[in-house]
Amino acid sequence: MRFWGMFRFTVLETVRKGTLIFYFGIATLTLLLLAFGITRSPNDPELITMFGIPFGGKAMGNLGLVEFLLYMLHHQSVQFILLLGIFGVSGLIPDMLEKGTIDLFLSKPLTRMELLLSRSLGATAGIGLNLFYFFIGVWAVFGLKLGVWHWAFLSSFIYVFFAFACFYSVVTVVGLITRSTGFTILISFCFLFISWGLDAREHGLYLLWNNIVYHRLLDALYYLTPQLNAMLENSSRVIIKTALFPGMLDFTIMPFLCSLGSAVLMYALSIWYFSRQDF
Amino acid sequence: MYTMNALQTENLSKQYRSGAFKKYNIPALDKVSLEVGEGEIFGLLGPNGAGKTTFIKIMLSIVHATSGKAEIFGQSIKIRSVRELCGYLPENHRYPQFLHGLDTLLFFGRLNGLSESELRPRAQTLLETVGLVQWAKVKTKKYSKGMLQRLGLAQALMNNPKLLFLDEPTDGVDPVGRKEIRDLLIGLKSQGTTIFLNSHLLSEVELISDRVAILNKGKVIRTGTVAEITSQKLSYTIQLSSHLPLALEERFKSSLPAFSYTDNRLDISLNDKTDLNPVIDALRTAGIGIDGMTQQKASLEDYFIKLVQGENNK
Repeated sequence: MRFWGMFRFTVLETVRKGTLIFYFGIATLTLLLLAFGITRSPNDPELITMFGIPFGGKAMGNLGLVEFLLYMLHHQSVQFILLLGIFGVSGLIPDMLEKGTIDLFLSKPLTRMELLLSRSLGATAGIGLNLFYFFIGVWAVFGLKLGVWHWAFLSSFIYVFFAFACFYSVVTVVGLITRSTGFTILISFCFLFISWGLDAREHGLYLLWNNIVYHRLLDALYYLTPQLNAMLENSSRVIIKTALFPGMLDFTIMPFLCSLGSAVLMYALSIWYFSRQDF
Repeated sequence: MYTMNALQTENLSKQYRSGAFKKYNIPALDKVSLEVGEGEIFGLLGPNGAGKTTFIKIMLSIVHATSGKAEIFGQSIKIRSVRELCGYLPENHRYPQFLHGLDTLLFFGRLNGLSESELRPRAQTLLETVGLVQWAKVKTKKYSKGMLQRLGLAQALMNNPKLLFLDEPTDGVDPVGRKEIRDLLIGLKSQGTTIFLNSHLLSEVELISDRVAILNKGKVIRTGTVAEITSQKLSYTIQLSSHLPLALEERFKSSLPAFSYTDNRLDISLNDKTDLNPVIDALRTAGIGIDGMTQQKASLEDYFIKLVQGENNK
């Protein structure tokens, strides 16, 4: 009851926060644009017009046109959605720690672990609602306008949501330590870039210094933190069944499993730190 | 008959750590031992930075004690369920601005573990009690300071606590509101609720507290009932019917701890009540009539200021 009370409150807070309403607005606008911008030619069922640009035939190899469009849309939008999501809910942990708020929460018969987890999961669920709105909207637009009900696209929501949930464990640690919304947003954004860098470390960061210790350190960092970029890439690959270009890997569950481990580690660290603090 | 203490601490100490690598220790509480009986209104007084808020925060596990022992109704404060017995109104409370008054109470009621069926009637009753019924559906961002204070009090009472911690409960409340809060606290006491009150408004503490403790620089320097604390020295004002002879004035000056005389009015302080009779006898012997006599009690504020200043000068 107490856990769900805080969870429910946090979900409500994420929905009522101005930034998430803004995000909701952007998502709605995107969906409306898609709804009006996509049409299938009545004369040629193989021809799809998207914002006035005609697409026809097979996109690439055996890849269907709708799959290709959904893949591109997914690939281009998830990073942006994630950035907006972080902007919207990064402040929830520092807000909770503000003087006058945390006193009230900690005086209630909740353990600090319950308080932190209910808050973090509530924030994740809030973003999940927004994500789901976008995914189901795109799915419905493609279904209604093009007659393709692409279930794989809809199911990719689960992977994106999971990636965000793992990423939020980092946001939680940073929020707890800095107790500042600004710093939390800044460091979370930095982590996004670091995550991209770590994912492609063999072609980038490794080349900066040819030292085995440095390389292993980067590896450790990669496996100890959520593998955000790898998870998002793989969530896009759920949509297509064939490789788009030579060398492109198939969907793999490994980044999700590793990230789950690192998220558990991050939350354990957060709970330990939070339990020792005075407010 | 043995009654359990609502609150008990033994050598409770807290040192905050500050600076790079937290190498500086800032003492906030120094071996504080207090006992608060069940059903009492207990006032904790002290200047700013004395450690009053830290004490309450330790009792509610918001701050961790460095050493010492603390219990609420015989149970260690480290046990989570202890907080089910407590209500708390912090000094600078912040409520979610997107919620209205009723929702705020429902939310905090849920955190207290109240069932959905209990929540709404309890919240409605408390909104009536604190006079916010008409504001129940207004967002808290539109509330004045005094209204937020009332809402805070209602929030603290949601779980019908056995022990209520109030940190400056009348802060920002107008005189009528203060009187209402005082009456509410007296009503709660009559129902058996123990109230632990932090306040710098000494006159208010004096009006409702059964016992008080004075805290200075983290140490308890005095504990007792308000009457015990304020009646340390007896002061009297005697209105004379005629002028006081100079010889008698000199005699009083040399024999009494405090003496002043203006316009046939005599203000004296005595070490003991029995010292009053020789003064009256001397006046009568000198043929001076007494028009009236009143006993002056030192206020808690007077005593507090003298005590704290004395401690600070040590």
